[in-house]
Amino acid sequence: MNSAVFEIGKFARLTLLWLCIIFGAVWGVSWSIGVLLPAVILSQSGESGRFWAQLLQALVPVVAVALFVPLNTCYMVLAERRLLALFTVRKGPNRVGPDGAFQTVADALKLLLKEEITPRGADLLMYTLAPVIFFAPSIIGVMPLLAAVSGNHPLFTPVNLPTGVFYILAVSSIPVVGVVMGGWASNNKYSLVGALRSAAQAISYEIPLLLSIITVCLLAGTLDFVQIADNQRGSLLNWNILGGGALTHLGIGSPWWSIAAALLLAACCILLFALYVICACAEVNRTPFDLPEAESELVSGFNTEYSGIKFAIFFLAEYTNLFIVSTFAAVMFLGGGHAPFPGLEDACISGLRGLLAAWFGACTPFQLGWLVNSLVNPATVSQVFWIIVKSYALVWFASLIRATLPRLRIDQLMDYSWKRLVPLALILLIAVTFLKELV
Amino acid sequence: MVPEMTEELRANKLKTDEMLINMGPQHPATHGVLRLILKLDGELVKHCEPVVGHLHRAQEWQGQNRTWFQYQALIDRVDYLSGMFTSWALARAAEKIDDVKVPLRAEYMRVIVAEMNRLTSHLLWLGTFGIDLGAMMGLPFYPFREREELLDLLEAIAGQRMMFNYIRIGGVQNEAPPGWFARLFKFTGSFPDRIDEYEAILSNNPIFLKRTKAVGILPRKLAIDYGVTGPTLRASGVALDLRKVKPYSVYDRLDFAVPVCNRDGDTYDRYMCRIIEMHESNKIIRQCIEQIPGGTADVLREKRKACSACGKANCPHCGGDLAIMVKKQNAGLRVKAGEGFAAVESPRGVLGCYIISTGSDTAYRIKWRNPSFSNLAVLPELLLDHQIADIMAIFGSIDVILPDVDR
Repeated sequence: MNSAVFEIGKFARLTLLWLCIIFGAVWGVSWSIGVLLPAVILSQSGESGRFWAQLLQALVPVVAVALFVPLNTCYMVLAERRLLALFTVRKGPNRVGPDGAFQTVADALKLLLKEEITPRGADLLMYTLAPVIFFAPSIIGVMPLLAAVSGNHPLFTPVNLPTGVFYILAVSSIPVVGVVMGGWASNNKYSLVGALRSAAQAISYEIPLLLSIITVCLLAGTLDFVQIADNQRGSLLNWNILGGGALTHLGIGSPWWSIAAALLLAACCILLFALYVICACAEVNRTPFDLPEAESELVSGFNTEYSGIKFAIFFLAEYTNLFIVSTFAAVMFLGGGHAPFPGLEDACISGLRGLLAAWFGACTPFQLGWLVNSLVNPATVSQVFWIIVKSYALVWFASLIRATLPRLRIDQLMDYSWKRLVPLALILLIAVTFLKELV
Repeated sequence: MVPEMTEELRANKLKTDEMLINMGPQHPATHGVLRLILKLDGELVKHCEPVVGHLHRAQEWQGQNRTWFQYQALIDRVDYLSGMFTSWALARAAEKIDDVKVPLRAEYMRVIVAEMNRLTSHLLWLGTFGIDLGAMMGLPFYPFREREELLDLLEAIAGQRMMFNYIRIGGVQNEAPPGWFARLFKFTGSFPDRIDEYEAILSNNPIFLKRTKAVGILPRKLAIDYGVTGPTLRASGVALDLRKVKPYSVYDRLDFAVPVCNRDGDTYDRYMCRIIEMHESNKIIRQCIEQIPGGTADVLREKRKACSACGKANCPHCGGDLAIMVKKQNAGLRVKAGEGFAAVESPRGVLGCYIISTGSDTAYRIKWRNPSFSNLAVLPELLLDHQIADIMAIFGSIDVILPDVDR
């Protein structure tokens, strides 16, 4: 028991270290490109530099994502391996760096330096394109989430689409094309079977996934991430998982049917969240729906023949997709960047502000304190903190599932989707529509 | 009017080919180097042909070209997960020819280590069965935790973790080290809870039930026709366990049950059979520790101080029932002329050894009857019209060890 607590402590330290690395690096670079460099350019060359300053500012989301995706994957793979070790009474990787913190960095380097093998008879063009097509949607899928994660920070506002939800759902259906291409082009029968399984699975699970998201959008009345997150401001009861504020409207004098409808709506939304988690697991090929890979059946499914950097790209995309669906769930269901209890968020912000004031006080420009004060915005930090906690909690939950469940068979998988999930999703859609009016 | 879609029309319009696929010899789920030539129609298996022999090491031939003493050490490798049983079969066959009466204490020691070995084998099977079903990360490590403890104990007594060479012709190799019995007894006390832990993950898990129930049904008659033995046979409703049917060693003095399923067994029944067997093996070990003549090694060691461990046959602390070895173990080990067959119930089924000896330092002929070989033979029948994913579930559930198939 004590050793388990000890290991959890180690895991917490690793997480803290990596979060500092990821968000420090991403924010540092974004800030230098989006704020510092334009300021320097404008002060040096005046109006003539405006074009370059704006160009740099427009580049911020792209650079942020390009930096965030590999760093985040490094942490997620490490966290998953450490968590699986924790769940299965082992130690996990603990040799490279303090407590094995840089194990995945070393792994990534190894993959980059590894020989790339193209199997005989492979369709070279498709074989090379497949990882790219698999990976591209996860990069462009992260973009609109940036605004939601950063609490609509001015630097990231341009990527906040008014139809962000729709955009992500559209983008998330592209990766399967890459899988099928890769499986077909590898000239390997196992890969082919894996690819075909993937196609079947993606089609059947996208429908209940879409329906569950549509239902939440109906509830929120918008497709804009930032607005959906803001609608859930306040407390736990305002979160979409509990009916998006249906419970807070209730008072002592509410009619009985209103109370009943609110409670039912909350129940429906919890079911909706469960539905989303199941479908998301299938969408990103996680256990128990990892049939396209199915290591013990199809060796490694569609990516059997891939090695070196191409395999690394598949790997990167898979974990990024997991992060995207988790963040998506955090925004859609779990209140985005808002704290679960009313006073907590303000306490966070004012506490941080007080701390900054105490440490750095009022500083003149171009001193350390000025730098810190312009770098750290307490409101944004609180936003990012809460949404990251929620997203990673869901990622860790996916690890727990992976450590527990066996894999479904392909026909059972299809049955489960078409006979259980799709009807349930439709029923919930209708129920939520009516209940929302009744509350 | 649209013509009705008959089978013939469908076949002409949607022309599909069967896919020939080679599963193995290098495949993570074939537990070694089995090669399955599969004909697949989509995901359905239409034909399966196992190709064995990749691990053939001429174990029988080696027996005729190695001295008895050398061969004893070699034979653990036939079934590397249950070395005690292969040693035991060889020892019993040789002892039959030799007409040697093995001391009672040695018999008890044999039962204890053999049942421990059965536990380690079943535990490893449970872990790999989880992997076969796709529980890649979680389940496999829990059985391995207990297996580790048992292997440590076996290492302490035999000096080896897998190739024990502990059961020898004429007895067992050596007495248990200090504290060994106490450790084992403590382990057997907590082990049933650990089995419940595995069951908590699997036995009621809906996905596990879906993957195993009514999958790979092995009818009773088919099992008998193919010579299937062990838990695989008992799950199909045949109560064949040599420990009960033809009790050898001291099994007739022990109280244990043999789990038999009373219908045609599916993958789940085979799983359940092995789970219950682990409970029973645990019971057997506890009883043996209580019944063993001379008590635990520590008690005996105290008593032997009186005679300074003389080792004489008539000594009340060293000889008679309390000895552990009656034949000298050295290169001059001989077995009298004659022929003999002995079988033991290994974790995989009936393991038989047939020996012809001419009284020289090597055997004249040796033949092994390996359970895995017969159990594997039934695989093509079981796989027919199942899906690819079921191959692993079914193959995992018959628990085949490939070195045991190929010898």
